Amino acid sequence: MEVLSLIGSGFLVALTPLNIGLLLLGCFVGTLLGALPGLGPVNGVAVLIPLTFAFGFDPTSSLILLCAVYFGCMYGGRISSILLNIPGDEPAIMTTLDGYPMAVQGQAANALAISGVASFVGATIAVIGLSLFAPVLARAAIHFGPADYFALYILAFATIGGIAGVDPRKTLLSALIGLMLATVGIDPISGVPRYTFDNFHLFDGIEPIVALVGLFAISEILLILEKSVKDRPKAIRVDRWMPQWSAIWPTRWAMLRGSGVGFVAGVLPGAGASLGSFMAYVFEKQKSNKKGTFGKGDPRGVAAPEAGNNSAAGGALIPMLSLGVPGSGTTAVLLAMLISLNVQPGPLLFERQPDLVWGLVASLYLANIALLVLNLPMIGIFTRLMMTPTWALMPVVAAITFVGVYGISNSVFDLELMVFFGVLGYVLRKLDVSLVPLVLGLLLGGDMERNLRRAMSISDGDWSILIASPISITLYVLTIGFLALSVWLAVRDHRQTKAERLTEG
Amino acid sequence: MTGLSVRLFGAAVFAIAALYTLQAGTYQITFGDVLGPSVFPVIVGIPMMILSASLVVFPTGQVEWAGRDRMWRQAAALAVFVAYVLLMEQIGFPITTAALIALIGIIMGGAPWRAVALGAVFGPGLWALFDRVLGLPLDFLGKLFG
Repeated sequence: MEVLSLIGSGFLVALTPLNIGLLLLGCFVGTLLGALPGLGPVNGVAVLIPLTFAFGFDPTSSLILLCAVYFGCMYGGRISSILLNIPGDEPAIMTTLDGYPMAVQGQAANALAISGVASFVGATIAVIGLSLFAPVLARAAIHFGPADYFALYILAFATIGGIAGVDPRKTLLSALIGLMLATVGIDPISGVPRYTFDNFHLFDGIEPIVALVGLFAISEILLILEKSVKDRPKAIRVDRWMPQWSAIWPTRWAMLRGSGVGFVAGVLPGAGASLGSFMAYVFEKQKSNKKGTFGKGDPRGVAAPEAGNNSAAGGALIPMLSLGVPGSGTTAVLLAMLISLNVQPGPLLFERQPDLVWGLVASLYLANIALLVLNLPMIGIFTRLMMTPTWALMPVVAAITFVGVYGISNSVFDLELMVFFGVLGYVLRKLDVSLVPLVLGLLLGGDMERNLRRAMSISDGDWSILIASPISITLYVLTIGFLALSVWLAVRDHRQTKAERLTEG
Repeated sequence: MTGLSVRLFGAAVFAIAALYTLQAGTYQITFGDVLGPSVFPVIVGIPMMILSASLVVFPTGQVEWAGRDRMWRQAAALAVFVAYVLLMEQIGFPITTAALIALIGIIMGGAPWRAVALGAVFGPGLWALFDRVLGLPLDFLGKLFG
C-alpha cells in the first residue's frame, strides 16, 4: 500500500511541535468562528490568511492551520443552530430544522453529541476519500497540456456558480470581472504594463488576498449593519451535558449516507458544503421520513446534514489540491493563500511537494480527533463564548483584518484597495452576484492567459490547437452541457415564479 | 420599474468592459510572442459586454436596499474605515485602532461607554500582540510628535 507509507511520512511532518500547536489552535479558533453567528468559514479563513503571512510560517504549516480552521468551522456551525436556532454559518442551516426542535424538547445534549459524532464521521470519511482519490486524479491530470488547462479553467468558471438558483449570466459576469482584474499589472510575458493607470502600486497586479479579504470580510460588516439589531438571542439552557449513547447509535446509517452524499457534492465543482448538507438532508428525509418526524426533532435529521457538510468540506479539497481548481468559496480562499506563498497546486504538487500534501492529509486525520474532543466534552466553552454580542465581536474582527492586510506589504494603498473591494463585494452580494467566481477569476486569470499563450506559441498562432486533444474536447463538451443545463433550469425557475405571480395576482 | 438596480449594474459593467476592450488594442505585440498582451483582454471584454448588455435588457432578481437609517449606519462605518486608513500612519496604530473599534462598536448598537472601553483595551492590546509579540512592525505614535 503506497498510500499508507505516504500518509506515514505525512505524520512525521504533522507531528512536529509547531504543527501540532497550530493544529490545535486552528481547531479551537475554527470551532469558535463556526459557532459565532455571522462569521463563517470563508470570512474566518480570509481574515486569518494575512496573519499567517505576518507570522512567516512555511506553506505546509500555514495550510495546516487554515485547514484546521476550515474543518473547525464545519463542526462549530451546528452549536448555534441547535441552541439558538440561528445557523453559525451557511452550511449549518439544515441543522436548525431538526436540531433546534430536539433542543426545545430537552434533548440538547443528545443533539449536540449526535451532530458532533456525525461531523467526525463525515469529515473522517472525506479525509479517507481525499487520501485515496486525490493522487489518482493528480496522476490523470499530469497528461494535461497548456490547451487542456485552458479548457479546464473554462469548465471551472462555467460550473463554479453551481446549478442551483441564481441567474447564470450573473455568475459568468462575476468570473469575467475576476479575469479582468487579473490582467491588471505588468504582463509577465511581454513586460507591458496593462491597466495600471501609471500607478506604481498596481504594477505587481492586484494582490488576491487583499481583494478577497475586502470582498468577504468588509462586505460582511456592511451587510450586518443593514440587518435590524435584534435583542440578544436566548440560548436554550442545557442542564445536563452528558449525552445518552443509546441515542447516537440508531443514527449511524443516516451519518454514513449523509457522508456519502456530501462527499460527492463536495468533489463536484461549484457545490461546496452548503449544497452537501442540503442534499444529505433531503436524501435522508426521502429515505427515512416514514412517520413524518422530520422537522420536529428527528435525530437522523441532525446526523445526516452534519455528516454531509463536513464530508463535502473535505471532498472540496480534492479538486483544489490535485487540479488547482477549487470547488467552493473556502477552498478558493485556501488556493489564494497557496499561490501567494508560491505554491502552485495541481498535479505536480504531489510529485514536487509530497511533504505538503501528505503532511496536510495526516494533520486532517489528527484534526478530526482534536475536534471531536473539543466538540463533545469541551463544548461548554463554546456555548459560553458563542454569546459574545455582535457589537463587540465585529469591530475587533475589523481591526484584525486591517492589521493583517497592512502586514502583508506595509502599504496604505492595500488598505484602500481592501475597502474598495469591500464596497464592491457588498454591492455584488446585494445584486445576487456570487463572489466566488470573481475570486477564482482573479486567482486563475494569470495562469489561464499564460496557458493560452503557450498553446498558441506551440501552434504558431493556429487556434485549432485549443480543440486538438481528446482531453480538451471532452472538457468543452462538459462545459457546454453544464451551461445548457443551468440555463434550462434558470429559464424554468423564471417561468415558475412568473406563473406563481400570475396566480397570486 | 423592476430590476432598476440590476439594469444600472449592467450598464456600469458594460461601460467598463467597453473601455477595457478598447484599451486592450493599444498594447503592442512584441517579437516572439504569438498572441501578445492584447488578445486575452479582448477575449474577456467582449463576452462581458454581451452579458452586461443582456442584463440591461432582461434584468433578473429583486434588490431590496437598506432603509434610510441603515444606509446612514453603513455610510458612517465606511467613513470610519476610510478615516482609519488615512490616519493610521499619521497618528499611530494604538490610538487609531482604539477609535476604530469604539466607533464601529457604537455604530453596531453597543452601549457607547462599553464600546470605548473595548477600544481602549483592544487598541493597545492588538498593538502589543502584533508589534511586540509577533514582530510585525506597527507605528506606535506615527508622526504625531514630529
